[in-house]
Amino acid sequence: MVDQWTLPEIDLALCTRCGQCVAQCPTQAVEMQATGPVIVRPADCTYCTTCEAVCPVGAITCAFEIAWDKSAF
Amino acid sequence: MSDRPPAHVDHDSQLFASRSESTLSAGALTCMANIVVPRAYPAETVIVVEGEPCEAAYFIVEGNVEVYRMSFQGRQQVLVRLGPGQAFNTVPLFQVNGCNHASAIAHTDVTLYALRKEDFPRALRDCPDLALVILQDFANRLAHLTDLVEDLALRSVRGRLAQFLLQQANGSAVTQKWTQDEMAAHLGTVRDMIGRSLRALTNERMIKLDRGRIVLLDRAALEAEAQN
Repeated sequence: MVDQWTLPEIDLALCTRCGQCVAQCPTQAVEMQATGPVIVRPADCTYCTTCEAVCPVGAITCAFEIAWDKSAF
Repeated sequence: MSDRPPAHVDHDSQLFASRSESTLSAGALTCMANIVVPRAYPAETVIVVEGEPCEAAYFIVEGNVEVYRMSFQGRQQVLVRLGPGQAFNTVPLFQVNGCNHASAIAHTDVTLYALRKEDFPRALRDCPDLALVILQDFANRLAHLTDLVEDLALRSVRGRLAQFLLQQANGSAVTQKWTQDEMAAHLGTVRDMIGRSLRALTNERMIKLDRGRIVLLDRAALEAEAQN
């Protein structure tokens, strides 16, 4: 079951704090904090995967379940 | 990597059991127990590196392993994802000075039995059933690779993606999540193409993208797309 607030996963151990995810997020849902990037406005995150695509070290993961639409059955 | 206590291979081990027409006899399993070496690897550990001299073939007891080739530019093509009962790196055992044909990485935590190259002649001599099991594994692998060549050479990325989505949605009860990079590595393309193809399938109402979820909407249209 997918949570309404499924969000990109950020691996702070890999993150270099380059700020690309913050700069490229189309909805400004991510902010750089002392510990690293944090999705501070989860409701604004559309799971567009831009942050995953621009992260130069693969620290952000946006994974998808693949399933049938249950209403189709 | 860690070597575990002496090997104990029995019918419960699933070794050679799944996806194979034949299994080893009880006698052969006992014989193999004295030859193979149990090994455990945590997820994400590279077990075999393409081009390195072959040290062993491996039989999966628990977990999943991905076998892949990597280009000089760092682009990855996953050849196959294997599970319990399946083997990898068996080809170079039959070659003089054989090198590993592909790399293999632990997709999950895995337990394997390693059959060292220097022990292979003895294993074949002492366990004649083993040759048949390995030949059947080769046959299955050849059929799989032939299908993969057809997919890569003759199908569009959209077609391959549609087929992949159908396979995943129709597959096992165990839910597996995929990133777009992982899909690209399986389908012989790049992330950008996966993103574009997902958007195209979405625009044509074959799928819907939710947060963390690709929802398949139109089976007939996806099946037609998978033929392209």
